[in-house]
Amino acid sequence: MKFKFLLLLLLSLFVIVGCNPTNTDVSSGGEDDTETETETETETETGGDDPEEVNLQLWHIEDGPSGEAVQAAVDRFEEANPGVSVEVSKQENDPYKSKLVVAMGGGNPPDVFHSWGGGWLEQFVQAGQVKEITNDIDQDIYVEAALSASTYDGKVYGAPVSMAVVPVFYNKEIFEEYNLEEPETYEDLLAIVETLDSNGIIPFSLANQSKWTGSFYLMYLAERIGGPDLFSEAFNRTGRGFDDEAYIEAGHKLQELVKMNAFPEGVNGMNYDTGQSRQLVYSGKAAMELMGNWYVNNVREEMPDFEEKLGFFLMPAIEGGQGEKNHVVGGVAPVFSVAETSDHKDLATELVKELASVATATDMANNAGDVSALIGVEYKDPYVQEIAAVLENSEFMQTYYDQTLPPELATVHLDTTQALFGLSMTPEEAMAEVEAKAKELLD
Amino acid sequence: MIKKIRQMPLYLVAIILLLFTGLPFFIMINTSFKSQLEFMTSPWSLPDSFSFSNYALLLDTNFFSYFKNSLIVSVISVIIVIIFGAMASYPLARLKFKLNTPLFLLFMVGMMIPIHTTLIPIYLLTINLGLYDTIWALIGPYVAFALPISVVIFTQFMKEIPKELEESAKIDGCGHIRLFWRIIFPLLTPAVATVAIYNFIHIWNEFIFALVLTNSSENATLPLGLREYYGEFTVNVPAIMAALTLGSLPLLLIYFVAQEKIVKGLAAGSVKG
Amino acid sequence: MQKSLGETSTQKSLSLNTSTKAMRKRREILTIIGFMAPALIIYGVYVVYSIGMTFYYSLFEWSGIDNNFSFLGLDNYVRLLQDGVFWVSLGNNSLLLGASLLTQLPLGLIMALLLFSPVKGMRLFRSVYFMPFLMSTVAIGILFVFIYDGNFGLLNDLLGMVGLESLQQSWIGKESTAIWAVIATVCWQFAPFYMILFRAAIVGIPEELYEAANIDGAKPLQRFKNITLPLLMPIIITSAILSIIGSLKYFDLIYVMTMGGPNNSTELMATYMYKQTFTNFNMGYGSTVSFSMFIIAFIVTLFILIGERKRRGVE
Repeated sequence: MKFKFLLLLLLSLFVIVGCNPTNTDVSSGGEDDTETETETETETETGGDDPEEVNLQLWHIEDGPSGEAVQAAVDRFEEANPGVSVEVSKQENDPYKSKLVVAMGGGNPPDVFHSWGGGWLEQFVQAGQVKEITNDIDQDIYVEAALSASTYDGKVYGAPVSMAVVPVFYNKEIFEEYNLEEPETYEDLLAIVETLDSNGIIPFSLANQSKWTGSFYLMYLAERIGGPDLFSEAFNRTGRGFDDEAYIEAGHKLQELVKMNAFPEGVNGMNYDTGQSRQLVYSGKAAMELMGNWYVNNVREEMPDFEEKLGFFLMPAIEGGQGEKNHVVGGVAPVFSVAETSDHKDLATELVKELASVATATDMANNAGDVSALIGVEYKDPYVQEIAAVLENSEFMQTYYDQTLPPELATVHLDTTQALFGLSMTPEEAMAEVEAKAKELLD
Repeated sequence: MIKKIRQMPLYLVAIILLLFTGLPFFIMINTSFKSQLEFMTSPWSLPDSFSFSNYALLLDTNFFSYFKNSLIVSVISVIIVIIFGAMASYPLARLKFKLNTPLFLLFMVGMMIPIHTTLIPIYLLTINLGLYDTIWALIGPYVAFALPISVVIFTQFMKEIPKELEESAKIDGCGHIRLFWRIIFPLLTPAVATVAIYNFIHIWNEFIFALVLTNSSENATLPLGLREYYGEFTVNVPAIMAALTLGSLPLLLIYFVAQEKIVKGLAAGSVKG
Repeated sequence: MQKSLGETSTQKSLSLNTSTKAMRKRREILTIIGFMAPALIIYGVYVVYSIGMTFYYSLFEWSGIDNNFSFLGLDNYVRLLQDGVFWVSLGNNSLLLGASLLTQLPLGLIMALLLFSPVKGMRLFRSVYFMPFLMSTVAIGILFVFIYDGNFGLLNDLLGMVGLESLQQSWIGKESTAIWAVIATVCWQFAPFYMILFRAAIVGIPEELYEAANIDGAKPLQRFKNITLPLLMPIIITSAILSIIGSLKYFDLIYVMTMGGPNNSTELMATYMYKQTFTNFNMGYGSTVSFSMFIIAFIVTLFILIGERKRRGVE
């Protein structure tokens, strides 16, 4: 008897589902009546269509000195545009990604938003959610490589502020103690790993729950073995694929490092954002960390005394490989874009220009240790000078895979790389999986 | 004496469970009074000097605003859930009609819905209602997702109330409304306590709706605030622990102050059943 | 606001109060509507509507950020059946479900029984036992990340102190231990809740039953088996359902602690759905995962309810 009721319930559920669209209007209409009281309360906040007072929304994720640089740019913009106010909303890195997706899906994105360019921004571009600004900005003031991260089919969809490169940071004191020198060859590096490990020091600190952190190793090893064209060939489907010999060899080299105890216990459980890998470096338990140059900013904020011990070198070349030591892995961030659905696209574009200006880039360079994505910034900070020099002398910059690839493929790349670190997948399996997904999405 | 020895294993189990449940709290609170250096060198020892500097750090942030928002949202939502939930349960438990079981099951099904998929529909709804980025946006979904379990609890509880009570009231000429508010509702106290406690805790700690339906810092609730501290203090573990302690304190305090009442209420309910 | 809406309609029903049967019937219906309307409206708008939309989205290929819906029918469901990660996550959910039933409920019961034993300082025990349930999941996640850490973790220190160095490891960093570390944390969080439920039910057992058993010379274990356990059965079933449903849609701690890693070893259906929807821009497919979770939870609960009916029928 009761069973009949359950069946009835299931059926009624499907009926509800079936007549869904009309159903929704009716029910939300009903809700409207009951909530009018609160609605009028908030109207003043949400109604931004008043011709005299224009309100722009800006979402960014910059902390500390970088955040101040963004605020300074907003202040300049508001001063130059009386009657326009900018509602600045600082977001948390990880939740931001899903929050922007929800906002875009709901048709209510901020007027100006942060991204890293690459495949992530491209998703929104393809969805027609991002305004093209090719002719609005002066392209000549940007470093070409930086601008290319937000250029698709020759059209520009975002303006970059800063760039980053990924060197190996190390503790000079520990290197001195064990008579170690900055490595010239990959063999040298392996020798360093051995020496450190035999002295009870973790060679490389790594927090690979974040996944992009471990991806740095794979990117470097693959470039050093397969050369600068390897990734673009695989990505553009014009030659070698993600299952190429070079990628498999890179995977083997990576697992060789794991087996040499080059990384801390349980790398895959540590989170970079919460400082678990840096904790090891600060406390002297680990000697090196492969990380973007924002590392300096982290150190200054968290453990300022450590800065004097901090040195860096570039990932050495591998003998017999096609890559070079002065080929670097790097990326662009932040990139600012205008939402297509913005009510005030012109003003929003002006705001983007102010955010991605020499003034902002200078602030970020000198206070936060970022390399500028704009030409003509003078660096005062010795670290930034050095890193900027590295970038200038580099013959090739490999942009981060996870930001270049379409998100779904990036997920596979990150997951399989994490599995390589956990030794739960062979390089052959991992690369075959990436290639299979690439075939599905890119071909 | 023999009795005491016999009780030894009991004490042992009780103390092991005490450590199991309590130790993480001890670690959290203990660490929150330490300096960063002290934490790294001796994570287990008691702090050298109880320093409130980590807490002072928090007072500079929006902590009290987070706290206030969480309180307003939780209290209002719980009150609505109790009233609407009890009202809805009345016909389900005491009246016989055709849709009785299907409606009850409709509510029960709600317990099985993974709330995360409802994010986009509810987000759109919230914008249409003009409630986006206000704390009022949270009350609707909180109430809606708390209703299923509350209706189930209330209905089951109401079924246990003897029919005679109702009949004598009916003879006195009581309508359903008076019957419900005068006679049934006051008898629900234990169920109300259960529903209130259960939902208050869940709503107080809710994260994902708060993340998506509000945006500005002044409308953030406590869990959002905690997540923000986590990202902000990074390697300053003691400061994070101070934030966690302060964030957990309100519920713990309420519990300690009211626990006799809470436990008695729950117990009284079962005796009746 | 909605309360007043409900009241007016019931007041209307009052005025219609006449002695004829038809009118009485009408009054009854109005009463039912009046009492249920407020809850049904909120529930319908937020829950029923949303789950309907979820099913609707699951029939499309949709990125979630544009208006390009391409209708797939049930293709997403076919894809789901062939999706290895989904099966891994379903397996993890089952693991979590099994472990929850076998740890949370017994632990809750043991704690509840302890509170009735002649242990001194019961108040303290009771207070501390309940504390984990009061803590926010975000806070618990953060706290346990530090406890499980492989290098600075306090759990490892603790193992070192009692001479179990060989067990020291990164608990959430290894595929083999991560899921268990999370399960233990979930258990830590929820066992106290079941303790409270069981405690309330034990209080409700009439004292006379025990007295009668004592006269018959029953041992404590027999008393437990013959009196306590059978009388607790309804609340145990309720708890089991809550625990099962909770396990099937679990999300929060994973989100804070592991994000489903390492290598999908802690991926649950809910985290996988979240990843597909918000990281991979597959709103349609994410909705498919989500709706399937709902169906699975629904079927499992159905089986329990039917089983419970049968059991009662047998007795």
